[in-house]
Amino acid sequence: MNCQEYWDTMPELDALSSGVHPHLNECAACAARMNRQRQLSAGLRAVSASDRRVGAPSRVEARLRAAFRASAGITPSPWRTPWAPGIVWAAAFVVLLALAVVVMRNGSPVAPRPAPSRGAELALATHSSDDSDSEYEGFIPLPNAARLSDTEDVNVVRVEVPRSAMLALGLEVSPERASELVAADVMLGPDGLARAVRFLDAEGL
Amino acid sequence: MKPVSPETDDELLIRIQGGDEQAFMSLYQRRQAPLYRFALHMCGSVSVAEDVTQEVFLVLLREGCGYDPGRGTLSGYLFGVARKLVLRQVERTRGDIALESESDENTVAQLAVTDDPLIDLTRREGIENLRRAVQALPRRYREVVVLCDLEEVDYADAAVALGCPIGTVRSRLHRARALLLEKLSSERSPRRTIAWNPVRCLS
Repeated sequence: MNCQEYWDTMPELDALSSGVHPHLNECAACAARMNRQRQLSAGLRAVSASDRRVGAPSRVEARLRAAFRASAGITPSPWRTPWAPGIVWAAAFVVLLALAVVVMRNGSPVAPRPAPSRGAELALATHSSDDSDSEYEGFIPLPNAARLSDTEDVNVVRVEVPRSAMLALGLEVSPERASELVAADVMLGPDGLARAVRFLDAEGL
Repeated sequence: MKPVSPETDDELLIRIQGGDEQAFMSLYQRRQAPLYRFALHMCGSVSVAEDVTQEVFLVLLREGCGYDPGRGTLSGYLFGVARKLVLRQVERTRGDIALESESDENTVAQLAVTDDPLIDLTRREGIENLRRAVQALPRRYREVVVLCDLEEVDYADAAVALGCPIGTVRSRLHRARALLLEKLSSERSPRRTIAWNPVRCLS
């Protein structure tokens, strides 16, 4: 095999051929050339290794994720589960109401309105509707709250709660305004427990 | 306990086509870096490489993306898509830095570091010299070096990506390496600068 025939086999591309070809023992020039090829291969491996950590920036992944969701018809949501927002808002609302009750019992910083008789409250409510849930004139009974009897007096305290608290009562709230405060009247029973709530500014939900 | 083998690219692709976002991101994580580096080596622009990488994966989201498992691997197909996108970008921006349009003198000056540049190829400066030499190769040789030598794509996948027979991949790589050696060795016999003094021909 002469030099031309040897290089026509492109021996430098066969990385697995670790043995020395007989031609290289016979030809010092080809042996030197092959040595340079091996140095080049080592250099290319070094370039490859130095680039190994290079990759697309994370914003590419974010854009592709968004594109995938758009193509699959998936609505982006910050919540992992669909019921999670309701749980959170309900919990926040209960905490706020509990705070309001504590404040009322220990001396409220917000001046309570004179305790109207429940009869007065109901008088406003009953003439407009026969629905038993509307007898509180805009008051929405709280879930799991005890019903008031006709003879019980109530206290109404005005508080401010995040608009998102309305979610717990089934009202719709736009996400943009969820963190805004909204004034609300909380109706307290004779035991000091909240029974119903009325939001004073329900516009722009 | 038998270790769970990772899903193949083709298995992930089937899940992707079924709307599985996790499969899409898994395939992206697995394949994005080599594709990004390929584009970067080919065009020399980070922003173009970024766009190309993104577009390659967007192609997978389209119906009838054109991938045929019978013709090669998904990896080879993705490199092929990336290559076409790079060529399109290069034509659009005329940003190709192929050897033909570049000054040989500049290349020689950049590579002139040691008496025998090949000895230093695995050192930091040598790596940079070699990187520049690769980028200065004509496109058809650069792409085969980047694919086969830098990204260690096998010849079959490279053939799919380049749209040519394996024999052509090998011959181009053979020629590309010869060009690289010529460039890196040119320091040994630098071209002399000839001062052209106009003289009157009297004959």
